[in-house]
Amino acid sequence: MRYSFFKGCFIPIRQPHIEKLAHKILPELGVELDTVTGFTCCPEPMGVSLPHKFTGTVISARNLAIAEEKDNDIITLCNGCTYTLKQVNLQLKQDTELRDKVNEVLAETDHQFKGTIKVRHFAKVLSEDIGLEIIRGKVEKPLKGLKVASHTGCHILSPPEVMEFDDPLNPVRLDGMIKALGAEPLDYSYKTQCCGWTLSNFGDRASANRLLGDKLRGMYDAGADSVNVICPQCLAQLDTGQMMAGRALKLDFKLPALFYVQYLALAMGYSLEEVGYGSHRVKDSGFEAKIGGILA
Amino acid sequence: MVLNIPYSVKTPHGIKEAAEICLKCGVCCVIEGYSCPAQYDAQFKPTQTYVYDCLGHEEPSGNKNIWQCVSCHKCEEMCPYEVSPVDFIEAMKEQALQGGHAPQSIIGELMQVITTGYAFPITPNTTRQRERLGLEPVKLNHELGIIAEKTGLLELLNSLKEAQD
Repeated sequence: MRYSFFKGCFIPIRQPHIEKLAHKILPELGVELDTVTGFTCCPEPMGVSLPHKFTGTVISARNLAIAEEKDNDIITLCNGCTYTLKQVNLQLKQDTELRDKVNEVLAETDHQFKGTIKVRHFAKVLSEDIGLEIIRGKVEKPLKGLKVASHTGCHILSPPEVMEFDDPLNPVRLDGMIKALGAEPLDYSYKTQCCGWTLSNFGDRASANRLLGDKLRGMYDAGADSVNVICPQCLAQLDTGQMMAGRALKLDFKLPALFYVQYLALAMGYSLEEVGYGSHRVKDSGFEAKIGGILA
Repeated sequence: MVLNIPYSVKTPHGIKEAAEICLKCGVCCVIEGYSCPAQYDAQFKPTQTYVYDCLGHEEPSGNKNIWQCVSCHKCEEMCPYEVSPVDFIEAMKEQALQGGHAPQSIIGELMQVITTGYAFPITPNTTRQRERLGLEPVKLNHELGIIAEKTGLLELLNSLKEAQD
């Protein structure tokens, strides 16, 4: 299956090791990634889409139009990009009057929104378009004994009628995906709580630390070795954010946070170094020893 | 006391009148682990929650706390009476930008997107990391400036900047 690869902003700018790994791993599962020139920021939902909705809608429509020109569905690596693009795609498909207004502006950039493609988050592509059976078939080194707390994130879950990803109050899709790799998924307190990204950027840092402390403590008490995420901001928050919260709250444990694609690559036999673990802030010798044993 | 908040939302089809009627049961903010992340800020209490603060503010679009809302929609999902504080807060964010109340970080991010195509600044570290991984450099895009000019955003940002200078 072929998709237009929507990298977004945060991954290419701050976490390029995830971009690199996705390019390497996803095609091995039958997900062909078409590199598209001309994509921009989705735009970012909190800082850009909301304060000036019409501009946000036109910028999204431009990205969607570019994918339509390639005639492939979009695949994203980010909850925020999926949230923005899916909402605008649906809105413009339903509201022809708005579509005309948007297209009038888009004409200035030689693009037109037609409404011919879908927006897919990579976790949905892997679990539905490809399927867990294929994923299980690619596992060379089952992550046996590894206990993983998955954090789904807010914007992929709600509004559920648009996002169509999982139950916002009881998300389990990622648990199934972790299980497919041979690891043990965990239920934990604060599972549906936000990562705190916006709170740490627009609110008070101490509150964001407390939020993250509660969430991490919930994961740790459930027995987690590590955290699984599917969104770059969640990754930044659970990695760099965890380092800062850990210092401020004097947490006596560390839970490395990895992107699902990294777990997938480990289960396919790639080393921690090859998946870019070295560029993460939170590292833990217990986790490394477990992975070492699995890959040995 | 019940909060009865009529408000106007700017939509592509004109101004829409809406209202949120909150009975102040607190469910959206006090169910730990399932409700509003902004409630973690120490200024909010079970008796004066984040949502009451946003809905009940005298000048809601000038309330800087609206920017703590992440649009996680938990308030809407938890509310037993189908109130949607998130819709109100989002409408206030748009009004805030128009009225010159948006924080500098928001204005900066809007400017960054329309001039470069990206919401986050491309730093020397970005360039270094991408080079090390053998990835091509991030390409800037200037088409969004054309869009922002046409939608009026560019003019608005310039006038906000002038007012500030």
